[in-house]
Amino acid sequence: MANAAEDFSQFGISKEEKDKLVGELIRYMLFKTHQNSGCPIKREELTQLVTKNYHQRNLPTFVINEAKEKLSFVFGYEMRELQRAHPSSKAQTRSSQQSVADSKSYILISQLPPNVYEKYVVDVNTAHLSGFTFVIISIVYLAGGKIPEENLWSQMRRMGLGETEASHPVLGNVKQALELLVQQRYLQKDKVNGPEGNTVYYELAERALDGPMNDRVKEYISQIVQDNTSVGAA
Amino acid sequence: MSSALNWRHHVVIQSLLSRGPLSEKDLHAMFQDLTKRNPGTERQLFDSFILKINKALSCANFELRACIDQYDGQVYYGVVNTVSDEHSKLGTKYTVPQIAFYKAIIEAIVQDASANAAIFSIHALNLSLDSQVTIVTDSQSQGSQPNVPTALKNFSLSQKEKTLHELVRDQWLDLTTDGVIRLGLKSFLDLRSWFRNNDLPSCHVCNEAGIKAELCQNENCTVRIHHYCLKQLFLQRKVAEVCPSCGTSWPYTVPKAEAEQTEDDNEPRGSKQVIKSERKRRRANRVVDDEVGSNNQDELNESRESQHGNGLVQKRGRPRRSDDADIGGSDASQSLTAISDARRVTRSSARLS
Repeated sequence: MANAAEDFSQFGISKEEKDKLVGELIRYMLFKTHQNSGCPIKREELTQLVTKNYHQRNLPTFVINEAKEKLSFVFGYEMRELQRAHPSSKAQTRSSQQSVADSKSYILISQLPPNVYEKYVVDVNTAHLSGFTFVIISIVYLAGGKIPEENLWSQMRRMGLGETEASHPVLGNVKQALELLVQQRYLQKDKVNGPEGNTVYYELAERALDGPMNDRVKEYISQIVQDNTSVGAA
Repeated sequence: MSSALNWRHHVVIQSLLSRGPLSEKDLHAMFQDLTKRNPGTERQLFDSFILKINKALSCANFELRACIDQYDGQVYYGVVNTVSDEHSKLGTKYTVPQIAFYKAIIEAIVQDASANAAIFSIHALNLSLDSQVTIVTDSQSQGSQPNVPTALKNFSLSQKEKTLHELVRDQWLDLTTDGVIRLGLKSFLDLRSWFRNNDLPSCHVCNEAGIKAELCQNENCTVRIHHYCLKQLFLQRKVAEVCPSCGTSWPYTVPKAEAEQTEDDNEPRGSKQVIKSERKRRRANRVVDDEVGSNNQDELNESRESQHGNGLVQKRGRPRRSDDADIGGSDASQSLTAISDARRVTRSSARLS
């Protein structure tokens, strides 16, 4: 508390004003996460919440950090910062052009242990999307982190998920479900010019490359491989 | 800061945010599972657990609140947003026509003169959204006006049907097997302030909005009472079965579900069951009392914050204010509503205590 008061007094705003800004940012994170089904929220959007009424330098950073603490303390959510990943073919050119601040975004992740989360928090109405996400990420991962679009659809067709399927009983529009993974930054698309024309690739994006997520994917893949092995032995 | 929330508080908050409202029974089971303490016998422990959560949630204008499903009299808990602002408008995946459709259904349900609080789905699908045009037009005065009514007019029957299923899935509405649409749990939780703000007739016993209620037989009398309040009034207090206001005879019949329980109570082991059921009823009352009390505190804080917010809104001009009021309808609280809430909650808590 004392530290917070000292920190914000240098910006010339009261504790009440600070608390209001922090509360607004928390609300924005929660509502936007719900509306966009968990798509990352750009740091620039959060900054503008503060700068539209206050112009002190570095104030947005303080408010964002305070909101991080509050989200963890009150809701048990980690407000994780992601650095935007770029398609491998454009990594060098783009990284030099875009500013660092422009490529930061945030997602909310529950800090509860997995077993507690699964027992009390997982929503059965959206659990199928998690399963879909896991399978697609695993396929791209096994392909070395990058897979041609046609190859991905070939694998999906083997699971009964066709590109033109618009009324799948669980996923609905399959193409849209895959596109949502791109918006949520689990995957990214990359167009590459080659001798045979343009080829579209799917690559793992920053959400899937995030440490804990990456580890869990490996764990689940090895688990499935073991299951298949034991089935084969029987 | 008061003492910190631990992971058990986080489980409850995240569960309610992710899965939606929980029945009192399920929340008690979760509490017992998490803390190994019995919320029935250690009432105060459970209450302080909820109070601690609410103190923390208030920093972002959320509240863990109890409500009664007026169709079955059961108590449910949910986390609701208590302030309607620009951020809360983002918190929905519904389009403007879908929200207008939802509001039309709600108005049709609460305006039912027989207090049955239900409409048939065919009636709902045929509801005209024209009455919502002014609201929507005002809220989007900056946009092109001609398009907004067109969007409402072009809202097709199949789109309404799809929206209806989404609203039921998300628990804003409830759909019975015989095609009757009723208020969902989220509507009871979120719209409490809206019910009061729109001067809906209230129950004579508990002073909450009497949406699903029984009416006095006397045509000149306006008294209405919830079914579960009738039970409390006539069976537990052993009061004569007449209208509390005009004295007209009130032909009270025990509902079917309760009739079965009553028959069970008459069995040889009935004495224990009677004792248990009485305790359960008292607990239910306490839940309402406690929530009203804590709501009183929260509402007072809310009215202070809202007054400040109200000033900001006024500076920006009236169109935005009506904008907030209209689009944010499903998000319940308004600054004016908050003030009236504080007063009404005070009255009802006074009566209940």
